[in-house]
Amino acid sequence: MTEPLIRLSGVTKTLKGQEEPRTVLNGVDLSLYSGQSIAVLGRSGSGKSTLLSLIGLFDRPDQGQYLLRDNDITKISERRAAALRSSEFGFVFQRFFLLKHLTAAQNVAMALVNGQGWLPRRKRRAKVMTALEQVGVAHLAKHRPARLSGGEQQRVAIARALVRDPKILLADEPTGALDSETGNLVVEVLRSTTDRGCGLILVTHDRDHANKMGRVLHLADGVLGQVTA
Amino acid sequence: MIRLSGRLRSALIIGMQGIRSRKLRTLLSMVSLFLGVLAVVAVQAGSQIAEQAALGNIELLEGVDGTQMMYVSQNDKAPAVVLDALQGKQHAVALVGTRAFIGEPNVSPINKGGGPIDQGASGGYYCSGYSACSPDDNQAQGPPGKAVELSLTAMTGDNRQFQPFRLQSGRWLDFTSPASLAPRIVINTKAAEAFQRYQIPAQMRITGATADPTPQIIGVVDDGSGAPGAYVPYDELANWLPPGADTSLQVMTAPSETALLQTLKARLTAAGVPAGQLQVRTINSKAHVAEQLELMRLIFLGMAGLVLLIGVAGILNVGLATVGERVEEFALRRALGTPRLLLAGIVLAETLLTGLFTSMLAIGAGVLGLRAAGVLVGNSARFSFLHDLAFPWQAGAAGVAAGLIAGLLGGSIPALRAARIPIATVMRA
Ligand SMILES: Nc1ncnc2c1ncn2[C@@H]1O[C@H](COP(=O)(O)OP(=O)(O)OP(=O)(O)O)[C@@H](O)[C@H]1O
Ligand SMILES: [Mg+2]
Repeated sequence: MTEPLIRLSGVTKTLKGQEEPRTVLNGVDLSLYSGQSIAVLGRSGSGKSTLLSLIGLFDRPDQGQYLLRDNDITKISERRAAALRSSEFGFVFQRFFLLKHLTAAQNVAMALVNGQGWLPRRKRRAKVMTALEQVGVAHLAKHRPARLSGGEQQRVAIARALVRDPKILLADEPTGALDSETGNLVVEVLRSTTDRGCGLILVTHDRDHANKMGRVLHLADGVLGQVTA
Repeated sequence: MIRLSGRLRSALIIGMQGIRSRKLRTLLSMVSLFLGVLAVVAVQAGSQIAEQAALGNIELLEGVDGTQMMYVSQNDKAPAVVLDALQGKQHAVALVGTRAFIGEPNVSPINKGGGPIDQGASGGYYCSGYSACSPDDNQAQGPPGKAVELSLTAMTGDNRQFQPFRLQSGRWLDFTSPASLAPRIVINTKAAEAFQRYQIPAQMRITGATADPTPQIIGVVDDGSGAPGAYVPYDELANWLPPGADTSLQVMTAPSETALLQTLKARLTAAGVPAGQLQVRTINSKAHVAEQLELMRLIFLGMAGLVLLIGVAGILNVGLATVGERVEEFALRRALGTPRLLLAGIVLAETLLTGLFTSMLAIGAGVLGLRAAGVLVGNSARFSFLHDLAFPWQAGAAGVAAGLIAGLLGGSIPALRAARIPIATVMRA
């Protein structure tokens, strides 16, 4: 196989809150290849979100190494991290995080209006519409989130994640707030992005959704392991 | 360059979306700031106007700072001594003041007593400039008629080096040409106004003079005085005025002429003027008044600053509440790649814009207020300077500065907060 998009080796993370520090990740190894989809299962509180926040460069590991296409980004600056979040990653969250005072199209455009490069309005609009079409909600472009169903809102959020053509898509329980049928649809939309070479990591509690991914991993005791059926 | 403009444009779009979605908050910020900025604008405008009113004419009336001034009390020999001592001196001028009447003979003048013409007869005697203040004057008795009483100042040289009179029309006195039988005089603007209003015949009577000359008015100057006045070369007045007439005498010199004043003093003392009555005063009126005005301005600016501080607290309050509300938005924007510096910049820019906008409104209110004051009280003589007064640009500048400073003070803490929002915590599912 070719080189991985990302490779984590021996990553640890200790979170310090009001309570005593807790080592949430304790030697995580993970590789993600272009076009590959990985599901991450695990009990609540096992550290799945923490893992995604490290991969998505919201936060940095305490120890271990993080390579992005062979570049060591374990300790990159916040400025470069912001640029990489914009150019390499797409994020989908359980709560959709749409801004209620903006239309669907404007919400998608947020990812383009982020101070990282500039597209003129016409090109921006074309990209937004393409992304909305990709997830099947182009007809809702002018609607505000309050008028959309949960499934529609999550698809708008996915369009926002896709609008910059990310190489890596990170989804943290994207179906957590949806009924199972709508959830299936959303998972299918996410999985289809790997057909175009996107790498996908899906955090979920739903085994059926996990089984639609190419690989299923389990996070427990701070390490990622294979799922033994 | 392209990167920068991309950032700027992104910031503009994000900032405008923020302001548009929170119009009421922006309005509240502006309300809290408005009074503070208005106070600064008002104080600055007020002090500027006061300065114009107080300092604009002070050099005309009192003399340029540094000028030395010596009053010479009434003495028969004094005029001759002074004239002789000042012969050929460029930087020293003797001024002889007396009263004169221009207009119909044997009538009581419109401004009996020599006061401002629109105040009518002032009853008592109006003593301004160098004029003698004589309580008894039989030429002013008689039925009211078309005549103006004015102070007449004769000078041995050009006093405008000490009192920079502004020529309004015609020309200034000529001290080199020989004296004419029809004395060439320059009147001040107040006298010109009186002549225009009352169609006064050009005949002049000078207190104590032996005959009535017909003056030639060759020019009009603004001498800062509120009462009618006229100026004439000393040579020409001397033709009409017998020695011993009731006049006042004073000498003005440049700061460098101390030696001349010493000699003059000695000679006057020798001629019998008591030394105690020969006081030399160095003019510093402008500096003195300016200092007092500056003190007042600082006191008032301090109070305005306090009001402004309350406005800053208002902006800060609204700004912090807004950032608290937008935690998710900011975390999301950071997740999507917006640099934290840009987010902080946007928050700051929003309050700066609010401050700038508020200062525009406050300046607008100040301009309108000044215009209203001009319309309401500008017609009364006391506030006539308000009439077509331009809004001082310094007040506008102070207002803009106040708005921006308030925006900076009120916006920087929310901006820091916005930059510090942790993405991982907010976006955790
Ligand atoms: N800021 C923090 N400080 C200290 N501990 C934290 C902090 N944030 C999260 N934790 C703890 O870290 C552990 C891992 O949290 P994380 O959100 O990654 O779990 P998760 O696997 O995503 O759970 P869930 O399935 O419920 O979303 C939890 O026990 C949580 O209580
Ligand atoms: Mg989680």
